[in-house]
Amino acid sequence: MSQAATLALESRQPMPGIGVYNQKFGMWVFLLSEVMFFTGLIGSYIILRFAHPDAFTEPGRVLNVPLTAANTFILIVSSVTMVKAFASIELGDQRGLRRWLLATVLLGAVFLSIQGVEYVKLAEHGFVPMVASYAAEGAPLYGMTFYTLTGFHGAHVTIGVLCMIFVTVKAFRGRYSQADHGGVEVMGLYWHFVDLVWIILFTIVYLI
Amino acid sequence: MSTVATATAGEAQVHAGHDDRSFIRKYIFSTDHKVIGIQFLFMSLFFLVLGGLLAMGMRWQLAFPSDPAHPLPGGSLLPETMVNAGIVLPEFYNSMVTMHGTIMIFFAIMPLLVGVYANYLIPLQIGAPDMAFPRLNMASFWLAVPAAILILAGFFVEGGHAGAGWTSYPPLSVESGYSGVYNGQVLWTLSIIILGFSSLMGAVNYITTVVNMRAPGMTWFRLPLATWALFITAILILLAVPVLTGALILLLFDQVLGTAFYKPDAGGQPLLWQHLFWFFGHPEVYILILPAMGFVSEIIANGSRKPVFGYKAMVIAMISISFLGWIVWGHHMFQSGMNPLLGASFMASTMVIAVPSAIKTFNWLGTMWRGDIHFHTPMLNAMAFVGMFVIGGLSGVFLASTPVDVQLHDTYFVVAHIHYVLFGGSLFAIFAAITFWFPKMFGRMMNETLGKVHFALTFVFFNLVFFPMHRLGSNGMMRRISDPTQYEHLQAFQPTNRMISMWAFALFAAQLIFAFNFFWSLFRGKKAGPNPWRANTLEWSTPSPPPHGNFATTPVVYRGPYEYSSPESDEDYLPQDRPPAERPTPAPEPVPAGG
Amino acid sequence: MEQAEHKQPPYMVVFGALGLLTLIEVGVAFVGLPRIQTIVVLLVLAVWKALLVALYYMHLRFEPRRLWFVVASPLPLAAILVLGVLAEGW
Repeated sequence: MSQAATLALESRQPMPGIGVYNQKFGMWVFLLSEVMFFTGLIGSYIILRFAHPDAFTEPGRVLNVPLTAANTFILIVSSVTMVKAFASIELGDQRGLRRWLLATVLLGAVFLSIQGVEYVKLAEHGFVPMVASYAAEGAPLYGMTFYTLTGFHGAHVTIGVLCMIFVTVKAFRGRYSQADHGGVEVMGLYWHFVDLVWIILFTIVYLI
Repeated sequence: MSTVATATAGEAQVHAGHDDRSFIRKYIFSTDHKVIGIQFLFMSLFFLVLGGLLAMGMRWQLAFPSDPAHPLPGGSLLPETMVNAGIVLPEFYNSMVTMHGTIMIFFAIMPLLVGVYANYLIPLQIGAPDMAFPRLNMASFWLAVPAAILILAGFFVEGGHAGAGWTSYPPLSVESGYSGVYNGQVLWTLSIIILGFSSLMGAVNYITTVVNMRAPGMTWFRLPLATWALFITAILILLAVPVLTGALILLLFDQVLGTAFYKPDAGGQPLLWQHLFWFFGHPEVYILILPAMGFVSEIIANGSRKPVFGYKAMVIAMISISFLGWIVWGHHMFQSGMNPLLGASFMASTMVIAVPSAIKTFNWLGTMWRGDIHFHTPMLNAMAFVGMFVIGGLSGVFLASTPVDVQLHDTYFVVAHIHYVLFGGSLFAIFAAITFWFPKMFGRMMNETLGKVHFALTFVFFNLVFFPMHRLGSNGMMRRISDPTQYEHLQAFQPTNRMISMWAFALFAAQLIFAFNFFWSLFRGKKAGPNPWRANTLEWSTPSPPPHGNFATTPVVYRGPYEYSSPESDEDYLPQDRPPAERPTPAPEPVPAGG
Repeated sequence: MEQAEHKQPPYMVVFGALGLLTLIEVGVAFVGLPRIQTIVVLLVLAVWKALLVALYYMHLRFEPRRLWFVVASPLPLAAILVLGVLAEGW
């Protein structure tokens, strides 16, 4: 084959890219920005605590660690149900997809509710983020960092639950198939990420 | 989230001829990357003018500090809390300084470099029909609009606009008792947070598109340097902007919720803001220069009719700059009282980052060396970039040296440095880019004579304005002060300040030529064919302007982007997608006897 | 759409591991080791759990290696940010 023809033939190969489809890659890329966002917040928490260790208390003095540990477990279970939803549609199991997606939505909602209850209880004891009205143990720093960190995580979970409802409705309408279920996979990535952030946050905020 | 896009570029859908989308879908809420790029263009040009006007206000005050004989022109239109009897009040001066920086950086330069050209060029240069996520792209522009509205709103609220500098250091930016500003500062914070989301969406799009949607044959090392630069910039945006967003959220909470992340009397840490801000802030300056470097590489090769000297080195240099850019942020904080050992490490890394920049400079020179140079307007502006960027870079080396920075920090020496790189660098590159890609965007050429006149005047006035600032700064003139004459050691420099202001007014006036050229050419410019600059990259293989979907059939790429003056071509350029000519295979070498 | 050529990952085994690690974490937090040891052990356990979620539930283990590099890229930056901010304390 002539040089030119070889060059022409080789050039016609599609470019390999990253090896995963656009939506999945796009979600991963977005999640990397989220890593930097939460790192900024966690870094702030660390430096503020480092500077005023007396303002923060040992785990359990103010926060309800057993309840939150159970909540952590609930979020992990929701990751399992999410992954089982994905596994179902990979095998073409529509009923499994719907069942497991529904379970994930419910578990996500439970996580948020328990966190909401925890916030209310803490506020009742005077543990609030504002400097002016701070009354409970541990200076204002603890409250504001606690609520900011867990609050932004909770906001991400809320967005996740809302998107998950959207995906679940689509699943019930039969919009996903064994051949075409990128939406479920991409939703799953976001959900697992939210769980992953919580794993780190729970350790840093509640246990250390 | 329904259709699963495949990893290849796929066949383009071209709706040329019978595009039955409504006017609103075509030009207002469009998902076409070209339209979105042009929307960003008009928005940013508006803010460029506004930023310039603010600078004019500043220069007037510095020329005639609190001088009733020279009232601020237009000052009577402003409320008494800003301009009293023609005299600029210090609080208003602080707002002008703050908003000049904020608007230029966030609403003019960044959108011009990235919002316009990442959107416009990337799909065209890689041979794709559009971005990976067209609707996300549309959302990215329309999210920038409320951010723009908020930043403009700040001028009209009680207390005036933000006045804590574009760097918004707490406690000044948190305690309205210190700055006299409350609402404006909150609006500023909110606006930048929202703009950050817009940038992030764009970054996700640009990265995914470049990685996954290149046309067949478009390997990584056949990408045009403009695309490389924009791709690397997108990664910087992706990873730096979220840190700023986090910092701004904490700032917002301090401003409105009564938290104390940065308030020292309640245990907060003002230095935390500085670290978070500059961790973003330093990659930000590379975001502001890398795309410009990419455009300059394209244009210098084109204007010299020669390949870029050391293409691979250019790529590696840009990657090195982006890596190193993450570990130098402390050089903005040398005077914050940091551990000297930490300061020394930041000094070292900052010095090192000059090396890849120098490599690029030599390569631009090498590209021009012995080239058949065509001094068209884009080429002139690109050459100015190289010279002015070098000067800005050199002043940066002085600032990088920690002990020298003791004298120079927060003086006009820094102002000189930043304007040599941002105006002398980025803005000249933007003038070059606008002129170069104008025919592709609008189907008409900008006027070459007006372009040259604008270039000459801008170049001369720019240097007259900013070069003297090196001396002002090293002699102790501080930044952001509204009245230098209140300091005895600066009174002798008042004539210099006045002279700078005069040249600044001339510089601003010269921009009217560019504005006129731009708008006049939109309607009356000489009609342009697909490839008026005789360039090689894929966008020049499409009509001017390209139709929705860009390419009638997916292009196939056979070579790199800088095959100018190639022996393989009869002309002095060789487009990337021109199929190679059939040539007979050379006869095999005769084998020597006994071998 | 990438093919699911591999067997389905051991999701339930990973779940068991996550549950177990969580219990260990809570235990370590309350058992009262010296401060530095507590922090190190807890962080190691947290990172281990995070890796399990990323590699198995987020499927990274079975994705092209190019994606691994992309995903790993912010981690050194995150470390630099936290370390840089902490360096103030010294």
